Amino acid sequence: MKTAGTGFKLSVTAVFIILLIAGGWPLRQHRHFPVEIVCGPGVTEVRNLSDYLPALKGTVADTPVFILSGREPGGSVLVMGNTHANEPEGMLTVAIMVENAVVEKGTVFLIPFFSRSASLNTRPGEGYPLYFSVRTPWGQKKFRMGNRDASPLDQWPDPDVYIHYPEKQMLSYLDIRNTNRTWPGRKNGLPMEQVTFAAMELLRQERVDLAIDLHGAETMFPVTNCIVAPEKSMRIATLASLTVKSMEGFENHLESSPEKFRGLSHREIGDYSDTLPFLLESPIPFLDQPTGAKTEKLFLDGRDEFLLSLARKKKLFVPYDESGWSLDRRVGQHLSVSLEIIRQNSRKSADRAIIIKNVPRYSEVVNNGTGSYFHNPALVEKGKVVKI
Amino acid sequence: MLIQTLVVTAIIITAYALAKWRHLSVELSLLIATVAGALGGSIFRTPEIREIPRHLVEGSFTYLDVILVFFTATLFITIIQESGGVNFAVRQAVVRFSKIRFLALFMLMIILLIPGALTGAGSVSLLVVGAPVALAMKGLGVSEKNIPAILFIVAGLAAAAPPVNIWAMVLCAGTAIPYIGFELPLGLPVLLLGTLTIIILGGKRAQAGSLETFLEKTQYHPAMNWFRLLTPFVVFFALVVAYRLWPFSFPILGLPLEFLLASLVALALSPVRLNLVRVASATVSKLLPLLAIMVIVGMLQQVLAVSGVKGLISYSVLIIPLGLLFCLLPLIIPASEGVLTYGGAAIIGIPLVWYLNSLGYHATLVIAGLSLLWPLGDGLPPTGLIGRLSLIVSGQEGKYWDFLKQAWIPWLIITATGMLMIIFSGHLRFLVIG
Repeated sequence: MKTAGTGFKLSVTAVFIILLIAGGWPLRQHRHFPVEIVCGPGVTEVRNLSDYLPALKGTVADTPVFILSGREPGGSVLVMGNTHANEPEGMLTVAIMVENAVVEKGTVFLIPFFSRSASLNTRPGEGYPLYFSVRTPWGQKKFRMGNRDASPLDQWPDPDVYIHYPEKQMLSYLDIRNTNRTWPGRKNGLPMEQVTFAAMELLRQERVDLAIDLHGAETMFPVTNCIVAPEKSMRIATLASLTVKSMEGFENHLESSPEKFRGLSHREIGDYSDTLPFLLESPIPFLDQPTGAKTEKLFLDGRDEFLLSLARKKKLFVPYDESGWSLDRRVGQHLSVSLEIIRQNSRKSADRAIIIKNVPRYSEVVNNGTGSYFHNPALVEKGKVVKI
Repeated sequence: MLIQTLVVTAIIITAYALAKWRHLSVELSLLIATVAGALGGSIFRTPEIREIPRHLVEGSFTYLDVILVFFTATLFITIIQESGGVNFAVRQAVVRFSKIRFLALFMLMIILLIPGALTGAGSVSLLVVGAPVALAMKGLGVSEKNIPAILFIVAGLAAAAPPVNIWAMVLCAGTAIPYIGFELPLGLPVLLLGTLTIIILGGKRAQAGSLETFLEKTQYHPAMNWFRLLTPFVVFFALVVAYRLWPFSFPILGLPLEFLLASLVALALSPVRLNLVRVASATVSKLLPLLAIMVIVGMLQQVLAVSGVKGLISYSVLIIPLGLLFCLLPLIIPASEGVLTYGGAAIIGIPLVWYLNSLGYHATLVIAGLSLLWPLGDGLPPTGLIGRLSLIVSGQEGKYWDFLKQAWIPWLIITATGMLMIIFSGHLRFLVIG
């Protein structure tokens, strides 16, 4: 016989199931939402990271590598975005290069979604929006907002402490799914170690001269708005920093890569290959803890009253005023600094020069908006659209 | 923006207070406050009303790993307990060391420290060895009122102890500082403060002749022996240590599976026939309030973030002038743990470490000092995670505040130590090796 207690329990169960479906469905949709990247006129080939480590084939961690080869032989560069998928300005920068760049000399390797699993992940407890959109001439272009770490659906369980390969340094257990702590990677390791191992193989097999890893960081973090480089990359990083300041009017200071902190791209790529690594950080107010609500607007315009007040109290590491720190500025900075690093290296070694055309620089992105450089996937032939 | 976040904060606090006023449990009160906060935030479209279910579901996964550890660790110790192992161990230890009382208490403190130090969770210390240690203390004449207080303080210190300190790891991951050099800055104070705690709270023999009563109460199956008791623990610690010894060849099992494997060994070696399904379902029933609170705190954290209240909390800490900040940290840090558990480390800790580091304070020592303060918050409401467990495992689920009052002297000493480590971090940098 049905009692009042049973009725109550059934009602609670029904509410629970409805909540679970209503709340879980958007998360499922996020994981399956494809971001469309249009192959621009410069793309000569699209490979996958699994071409450099077959063990990745068919896994969520595998990700497209866009190759732009010039008519003339020269040097080569790898540019990576979304190593941390909650810092998507790097991904947008690389996507703009894929859709627009034309390479005249040398080869450019572009990986917009380096940690693809992280881009399919969300950040429980942080209240991030699931998506953000940028305005384009043909409408809104929608992107997934990801997490810093790969999804536990793709790599789990975590150990109680993460021991880095091969240096055996103890790192936070959280970092075992962080593709900027798993360099130089391990062939038979965990999926994220395999991702960085495959990238190292790409760098070694293709004799890549430069590797640029695009990130973003909090305005309260000392290592923000900067180029992080080890000793061997420092000369080019210095010239790039000085040039963008004098020619384009924005600061991008230098930070040297600490020798004792292992697993980071700017340290391990330099130590385990002949490639010169650079890690670029642009300031993302959205990531700071003392901000208002974590909205799409805050992500896009980077304006926040709490941060403004803290800036007046000199508690931020970047200049910050009412204009905030917009997505366009962040993407523009990444583009200009990347191009400048490539240009400075080309000046240093003419036989390994890389000449890229048709990529916007800082002032153009700030004036025209990030979205103006994306092409409408509906208007190009199907084979030219890569869904990631 | 400030007004809107203040409004949502007021809604959350009011909802919680009303629910408590209607004598609802902590878990239900927090759930009501969370939902009220989400609905209140939706007035300002932070979050959009249609997004509320997603935020609640997503937030509920924040502490999934911790929840799995809680469950499997409790299952493990329940099997040990029901097989008679707990009574056996405690009787043996107390009988052997009872002549040198301080040494017996010191050994019990070390036993309590080890599981938490290895896993980073004081709760694991309590769940694995809390009950037998409480019984042993009773047998050694420690005041019944003081036992949960000792358990609470030492379990908190266990969580702060190296090699695994989750607050320090969260801070290191968030501030891009390597998790190295914490052995001495954390290990030394933990041992010193733990010893002081057992001297202060357990030094005086409060109950005479209780050893006999204790021995009567701790009966066990005659077939129980050291091999049956220790093998499951050896299996568990071997699995934990194996990854550290062979990190690139030993598979990562994770704490939940390690506890589960050890549980199966305990089950196989038990002299008493145990029904695994019955023990597992009893474990879930026992842990339900604790697991519920972890789920709800995750949801609350998500709502606080999406509505801007989390940012307001962080901002409020950072605008405090330095001198005043040092005076308030002993209140702010434990309070943040009481409300947000590990979330407090991310919300307040990360900007705080950057800020103090920019003023010349040594980051590793600042993190170590803060790590001593956070566990104290595990005794504070609304969550009071370790405090509540201390009462449960010592079988004294009386008035919560009475138990907390017993801990006030070690609490003050730990606070003073943590604060001195932060303020004089520059002078203590010699402790950081690595």
